[in-house]
Amino acid sequence: MGQLYLNKVQKFYGDFEVIKGVQLDVKDGEFIVFVGPSGCGKSTLLRMIAGLDATSGGDIVIDGIRVNDLPPVKRGIAMVFQSYALYPHMSVFENIAFPLRVEKMAEDKIKAKVEHAARILHLEQRLEQKPGMLSGGQRQRVAIGRAIVREPKIFLFDEPLSNLDAALRADMRIELAKLHRQLKATMIYVTHDQVEAMTMADRIVVLNGGHIAQCGAPLELYHKPANLFVAGFIGNPKMNMLPVTCKGTSAEGVLIDYQGQTATLPVDGTRAKAGETLTLGIRPEHLLLDTGDLNVTVVPTVIERLGAQTVAYASLDGKAENFCAMLPGTIGIRPEQPLPLGIKAADCHLFDADGQAFERRVSLTDIDLNLLGTTAA
Amino acid sequence: MREPPQLINRYKWYEILGIYAGIAVFLTFVLAPFVEGFLVSLKPLSQLFSSPYRFIPENGSFEAYYTMWDHVPGFARYIVNSFVISGAATVIVLILVVPAAYAFARFEFRGAGLLLGAFLAVNMFSGAVLLIPLFRLMRSLGVLNTYFAMIVPGVAFLIPSAIWLLRTYMMRIPRELDEAAFVDGASHFYTLRRVILPIAKPGIVVVAITTFIGAYAQQFIYALTFNSKTEYAPLPVGLFAYFGRQEVVWNELMAAAFVGIAPAMIVIFFLQRYLVSGLTAGAVKQ
Ligand SMILES: Nc1ncnc2c1ncn2[C@@H]1O[C@H](COP(=O)(O)OP(=O)(O)OP(=O)(O)O)[C@@H](O)[C@H]1O
Ligand SMILES: [Mg+2]
Repeated sequence: MGQLYLNKVQKFYGDFEVIKGVQLDVKDGEFIVFVGPSGCGKSTLLRMIAGLDATSGGDIVIDGIRVNDLPPVKRGIAMVFQSYALYPHMSVFENIAFPLRVEKMAEDKIKAKVEHAARILHLEQRLEQKPGMLSGGQRQRVAIGRAIVREPKIFLFDEPLSNLDAALRADMRIELAKLHRQLKATMIYVTHDQVEAMTMADRIVVLNGGHIAQCGAPLELYHKPANLFVAGFIGNPKMNMLPVTCKGTSAEGVLIDYQGQTATLPVDGTRAKAGETLTLGIRPEHLLLDTGDLNVTVVPTVIERLGAQTVAYASLDGKAENFCAMLPGTIGIRPEQPLPLGIKAADCHLFDADGQAFERRVSLTDIDLNLLGTTAA
Repeated sequence: MREPPQLINRYKWYEILGIYAGIAVFLTFVLAPFVEGFLVSLKPLSQLFSSPYRFIPENGSFEAYYTMWDHVPGFARYIVNSFVISGAATVIVLILVVPAAYAFARFEFRGAGLLLGAFLAVNMFSGAVLLIPLFRLMRSLGVLNTYFAMIVPGVAFLIPSAIWLLRTYMMRIPRELDEAAFVDGASHFYTLRRVILPIAKPGIVVVAITTFIGAYAQQFIYALTFNSKTEYAPLPVGLFAYFGRQEVVWNELMAAAFVGIAPAMIVIFFLQRYLVSGLTAGAVKQ
């Protein structure tokens, strides 16, 4: 069906290694999202899966067949480009029919398939128009239509929504999610929009400098980031980092010291050694206005009131690094007035000197249920 | 409703005056020979050498346009020859240049840069410099005094600039279109035919027009050197027939020149309808 297996896939441009041995197993029907900072190799990896760029090393396996040397059509993939890549001189109908015409399919079958795709994408009224007469969202739908008619095993999307405005992007996000459910095909989706990644993905692959920093379900990445990079990349505003010292480990977790305050963080600390300098991570939305297991006092410099929330940016201990707190929307705080904040030990993330996380003792099923509870309330 | 000009297009009165004065100067230089040529063609021969010289013909008529056909009976043939030579050259150039330009625009192959440089270098020689070697070549091939001798060298010297022109145009077509077609299973030739050619049509028309004009202008030298048969002579050579032994029939010569240009004008007028811009609108988000 639509299984994809990447085995130590590498890509060199000259001496420059862009993709550094990526290992990934994608199940049939999964919605996988590649995220990562600009230039980390998302597009390159996707183009290698598509067959537009050659691999320098490793295997790309689709449904048990090594496809490294096969052209895109033979791989059973279809790709939707960020720039739409529509044929401007052809009508919408001809654009969608293009892959079928290449296959030399019979005219009546082409007509049936294009009309079916147009129905799914709400393009029935536009079939005779040229792409130049369509809006951005409609153009992107035509591009998706061209991918659908081939009934590929795997869909590849390279930032398909990044040219659209925010409102349209939200609509298209929902439509794509629907489409995925309808077609039950494997989809691989590149984006640098976190919301897209979190909402659409079955699994997110976070790429950093050509290797996979972490791969997991959206909430898994949020609650159990495997390293500092993922911790900082997933979540908005970014997670706050505090330097702490390890005082020892126990069955309950790791005992840490932050400027004279001690607390036991419930993480798997078998690797931790007393005396080491560790990094404590706490998300802005987990800071409390009460006292917690640890307490810090910050001086906000900028306060953004978003209505539902108030975001306070502060410097900690007079350092330049911004410390960020996400607080209730109606809170009465002012810039330059000290603000005491509490941190619950259970909310903390802990990373060793190499930036690798100590696994938090939270069960993901609990988190999901908890989240369900809070959204229902 | 007439829209007010955009701010950037607003000029002071003296700026407009300057612009039009500039246009007038250059137009005068370009158009004056045509105007005078046309006026000459209307005058009876006797008036041409009267002094004081008058620009406006006194009892002008289109008589020269009738007598020219009797005076030089082969004239229609010369026009057809010109047309055949230039037309054939244009068609051959297009057939060769379109795939070549696509290859230069899209594929990376060894020697591409070198070849393009060489084409530019060839362009710097006009065919005229190489006439003697070309003549020897034609003679040893035994193709002197044929259409072939007038068409092929022309084609050879028109190809480089045509490739440059069309390559530049094709490079502006987004590469994603090729990639999308490739992902959909299209071969290079299929992509060229169904995607690139239709989008590049305005570029191809420009190449066709410049090639046709180039061939029309060039054929003179080749015809003069490689052809001595009157029945194959193109228009510029044919015009010499109006240079009589004693006198030049100026009014008929001018009339013939205008009649000779007319078919080329018609072709160009016909082609320029395809020079619509904005064909790539909607292809990619810019
Ligand atoms: N043709 C090329 N030659 C040399 N280097 C390249 C080439 N294409 C891409 N790269 C390099 O490969 C790296 C990854 O590029 P890629 O386009 O995959 O990034 P990306 O993750 O898609 O970024 P973005 O989010 O900006 O699209 C970049 O550092 C880029 O400079
Ligand atoms: Mg990219």
